[in-house]
Amino acid sequence: MKRRVVVTGMGMVTCLGSGVETNWDAITQGRSGIGRITHFDTFGFSTHIAGEVKDGFDIYGCIPVKEFRRLDRHQQYALVAAHEAFMASGLQIPLADPYRCAVVVGSGMGGLETLETGHDTLKTKGPKRMSPLVIPMVVVNLTPGLLSMKYQFKGPNFGVVNACTSGASAIGEAFRLVSNGYADVAITGGTEAVVSAFSVSAFNAIRALSVRNDEPKRASRPFDKDRDGFVLAEGAGILILEDLETAAARGATIYSEIVGYGATADAYHLVMPDPEGQGAYNAMKLALMEANVSPKDVSYINAHGTSTELNDKIESLAIKKLFGEHAGQVSISSTKSMTGHMIGAAGAVEAIFSIMAMRTNIVPPTINLDNPDPDCDLNYTPHKSVEKPIDCAISNSFAFGGQNAALVFKKV
Amino acid sequence: MDEIEKKVVDLIAEVLVDVNKDNIQLDSKIVEDLGAESLDIYDMIALLEDEFGMEISDEEVEKIQTVQDVADFIKAQKQA
Repeated sequence: MKRRVVVTGMGMVTCLGSGVETNWDAITQGRSGIGRITHFDTFGFSTHIAGEVKDGFDIYGCIPVKEFRRLDRHQQYALVAAHEAFMASGLQIPLADPYRCAVVVGSGMGGLETLETGHDTLKTKGPKRMSPLVIPMVVVNLTPGLLSMKYQFKGPNFGVVNACTSGASAIGEAFRLVSNGYADVAITGGTEAVVSAFSVSAFNAIRALSVRNDEPKRASRPFDKDRDGFVLAEGAGILILEDLETAAARGATIYSEIVGYGATADAYHLVMPDPEGQGAYNAMKLALMEANVSPKDVSYINAHGTSTELNDKIESLAIKKLFGEHAGQVSISSTKSMTGHMIGAAGAVEAIFSIMAMRTNIVPPTINLDNPDPDCDLNYTPHKSVEKPIDCAISNSFAFGGQNAALVFKKV
Repeated sequence: MDEIEKKVVDLIAEVLVDVNKDNIQLDSKIVEDLGAESLDIYDMIALLEDEFGMEISDEEVEKIQTVQDVADFIKAQKQA
């Protein structure tokens, strides 16, 4: 017997600040968090812009000052987002049965920057100088590990590595753990901190990033014909999932219900999506089937919408295939136009934005959509947010490598 | 405390998250009194090696018990 799964806590850190409310205010006002890269010297780089998380992001003071040097930034962001989500959930530690409490958190590249600096040490100072903190700061499963220690969650615990789909895949897998009865509570989401010299130069090498360096806030322009790539960004999104009965019994605030998860692979190319959009189409279709929701009942799609040539065109194609004559009616937006692309955190932050859209009945905008690409001819909510009743929303995530995930949320 | 001793205290305080610097004395035992565990010790060694430009072997580490032992070891290495 499948159980109903609800969201009882949410938290996030992005280039727009810390906290769901702060971010939602910025997003619904169409504010961009993109700026010049300050984290490293971009001399000689093609790209000089990103969505960096600003210092002081730990607005709760939840990480002891001395702990910062022992944690990679992607771990720090996750701890702050989890703190907000856990506080919001009203859960008390220790939970009645810690073995029924899971943690599933995604990250595309984990502690890549620690790996970079560790490699510098190896090359300049030799193998004996390597810090013993490198391994625990680099590996992706340490974020779920750290959260298990902090909250004493002793059930299933793993990282999900799925590039730009990591956050959505993590939420989907956590949803299944709770739905199928393997856990009653799960901390889930995604985190990423790869605005680093190594990663920016590597993404530049595949020509994936925008080089609109003189206009950072106009650089991420999903579905616009003048888009020239995505804008790399950092952040974390964490959600608390619970079995509906458990949540209702303790009188928890229920933010939303997760009703469907679809996961597919394109089986096509290293970095290009299937030109027919079959993987994306099927991920959305499977998620809606599980949700028992017909496309005409979906009022909002938080698109993957990266601002790359191929993604935006093919995602639009997939939506048109699935929604048919209703494709023009559904409100779509890409919040990446404001947050940039947080890779493994994107799907989690955007899941939260999808839930916030339902809670506030506001469709956030796609900013910078001045001249739509003729192949992108749907309702992407350009420039300004729109008020309308939203009872059901889809959040899409697609990865280099061909992984696709769609999550369906319903108002409770 | 001399300069080396002060630096050693600083580094140990940096590594040990739960220990206040004011509570670190020269005769504090690093494991028993300050609660360092193995990862902390390896972290300290890496920082000390980097700061003082020397290598501390695992055998030598085993002989070290107190903060004073660390400072004395560094001073001896510097003179050698």
